[in-house]
Amino acid sequence: MKVKQSLISVGLGIAGLLLAACGGSSNPLGEATSPQASASGSGSATAQSAPIVVGSADFTESKILAEIYSQALKAKGIESSTKLGIGSREIYIKALQDGSITAVPEYTGNLLLNFDANATATTAEEVEKSLPPVLPQGLKVLKSSPAVDQDVYVVTKDFSTQNGITSLEDLKKIASTSTLGGPPELEKRAYGPPGLEKIYGAKFKAFRPYAKYPPKISDLDSNKIQVATFFTTDAVLSEKGYVQLQDPQSMILPQNVIPLVRSDVADNATAVAALDAVQSALTTDDLMQLDKRVDSEHQDPAQVAGEWLKSKGLA
Amino acid sequence: MNLFSYLTDPANWQGPDGIWELLLQHLGYTVASVGIAAAIAIPLGIFIGHTGRGSFLLIGLSNAARAIPTLGLLVLVVLLLGTGTGPIIGVLAILALPPILTATAAGVRGADHEAVHAARALGMAPGQIVAKVEWPLALPLVISGLRSATLQVVATATVAAYSSGEGLGRLLITGNATRNYSEMFAGAFMVAVLAVVLDILLGGLGWLASRHASPGRRARPIGRMISEPTGTPLNLVG
Amino acid sequence: MNLDWAWIERNLPMIGSLLLEHVILAVLPVLIAFVVSLPLGFLVSKTKRVANVILAFLGVIYSIPSLALFVMMPLVLGTKILDPVNIVVALAIYSTALLVRSVVDGLRSVSPSVRQSASAVGYGWSRRLFRIELPLAMPVIFAGLRVVTVSNIALVSVAVLVGSGALGKLFDLGFASYFYTPIIIALILMLGLSLIFDALILAIQRGTLPWLRKRPA
Repeated sequence: MKVKQSLISVGLGIAGLLLAACGGSSNPLGEATSPQASASGSGSATAQSAPIVVGSADFTESKILAEIYSQALKAKGIESSTKLGIGSREIYIKALQDGSITAVPEYTGNLLLNFDANATATTAEEVEKSLPPVLPQGLKVLKSSPAVDQDVYVVTKDFSTQNGITSLEDLKKIASTSTLGGPPELEKRAYGPPGLEKIYGAKFKAFRPYAKYPPKISDLDSNKIQVATFFTTDAVLSEKGYVQLQDPQSMILPQNVIPLVRSDVADNATAVAALDAVQSALTTDDLMQLDKRVDSEHQDPAQVAGEWLKSKGLA
Repeated sequence: MNLFSYLTDPANWQGPDGIWELLLQHLGYTVASVGIAAAIAIPLGIFIGHTGRGSFLLIGLSNAARAIPTLGLLVLVVLLLGTGTGPIIGVLAILALPPILTATAAGVRGADHEAVHAARALGMAPGQIVAKVEWPLALPLVISGLRSATLQVVATATVAAYSSGEGLGRLLITGNATRNYSEMFAGAFMVAVLAVVLDILLGGLGWLASRHASPGRRARPIGRMISEPTGTPLNLVG
Repeated sequence: MNLDWAWIERNLPMIGSLLLEHVILAVLPVLIAFVVSLPLGFLVSKTKRVANVILAFLGVIYSIPSLALFVMMPLVLGTKILDPVNIVVALAIYSTALLVRSVVDGLRSVSPSVRQSASAVGYGWSRRLFRIELPLAMPVIFAGLRVVTVSNIALVSVAVLVGSGALGKLFDLGFASYFYTPIIIALILMLGLSLIFDALILAIQRGTLPWLRKRPA
């Protein structure tokens, strides 16, 4: 009888699965990047001649910055390549530590909170000063840039006027009946729901993870979620007229662009000079323009990076 | 690391994003879209099977449906119509239509000819023939069509989480983004369990129906009307 | 919804390599499944009770959504989640599940009188199998091959949720920024592949089974 046979086979299948589960030891999601790391994969290559692999997170701006860094290095005669879209910070930091990438564009505030959740720095200078001591062995930061890209909490204009929400302080009024939407990794971060609860007394009913913008935007517009996070350089903020919530208690720290590198890259004077030059030339407006060219005009990050460098005389 | 750690942590089951809630969402999508598809496909299938008109449509339809990349369709729908439940169920229902339609038409068409002729000879009106003779004989195939459709929808609803964030697929996607294999496995496991359970249930239902449709006399599919080479249309899942 | 032709032109190399990757990920499992399902199907067709359990097991496997299988492969194979081997093996298992059924049905469709005549004329079982039964079963098996190939082409794109997916990556790209062009291109290419391979297999069938040509399609 078909049903009985199906049940027997399901039983066999489950037995097999349990056996496999007991046997399986390594984490299939373990390695952040593929095993074919660059030549300096082991991290012990000589400082001056080792190619620098610049990694990036999953979002557009990170990819553009990685390309800018890499091409700036190449323009100064240093071999370099990129590994774009590795994943969230937790993942690419691991890649940095195991040597599969040797540099990555970062943001001062969140980087600090990543290694020191109780940091008390609030201004851009304080944040930057607090970084070197908390970084793990073997990692260094270079010069920061005036260019800034903050995480920001937003609500729709209508929601803001109807509920009187203009600041994170106001969230506690509506949080218990509202849903927050943001990238999956936000859920555990210090400036995510935990921070909202601790600093602003706002505990949301639910958190919805969004890996992509369109569903998040659609859900925010249709009130499936009431509050969402974006980045201050995102074009969608002005396109949709979303209200960016104030952060009077500085839960979100200043986020200046800063390169995070392995020590041997920091010891390479030419590399440091090249990246410092990029950092000085970069402005927040540049970030917004570059992001727009990739996100709205569908240009290639490598292409727009190259054009920016040329326009600044850095390549 | 423990594979079942996500599944066995009770905190993960509760709350509006808990496994339980996601399972119910998934089941809800499935029932709604298969229901809608059946409401359209069964009457249409009876018509095509009974009158023989439009049967040429069916072969092409099955083959074409098989080739649709469901992820592409879901992505398009969300970009065009937003993440509302309506559009998603619409897509799922459209994908569920072909299996139910072809199976119903084949079942009605293939109903034992002797029985049908006998009924005609007895002077039964066409409506009565359909209701009293063709339908009961076709039922096992109709149910197998529903079975195919259900599995297709369970699978596609998993993928739908990519564009709309609901259903068990969300565990897969979030687990992947946060490198939590235990969470990914939880999603895969629950989806597999759901699919297998529904498959066995509907299989049992079909078996009951074929017993009921008098032993020894079951509708047999005419080869041309079902594109799958076997007697029981196999489930093609996305 | 206008296509961004400039984008297509700029990205032809990437589209081309994704297309190639897609073909390999979709077709390789079919070849593996074909090789595996012939002997397996033959064995299954010869037994009764065991056959039904095996067929039921395959039915259960087939009912598991492909995405769930992709995710569970690393468990069984010890690979990393990004490894394309996961996709190939999962789809091969899937394709085998359906093809074994086709082989069994095909072999069972050979009428007993034909088998008996062959034996009567002096064919041993293996000669009978390869010269008579298999060729007669081929139409059913070919139909299975077409079904499996077309559905694999669509299923590969689902793997983008686990970091792979070949042409499916274009769906991801388009979805991230309301960009329709890559999505449309991917859909067109996949449907094109389905048509081409379906016709190809049909042509191979007509070529290798000439006696069927006279029958109506």
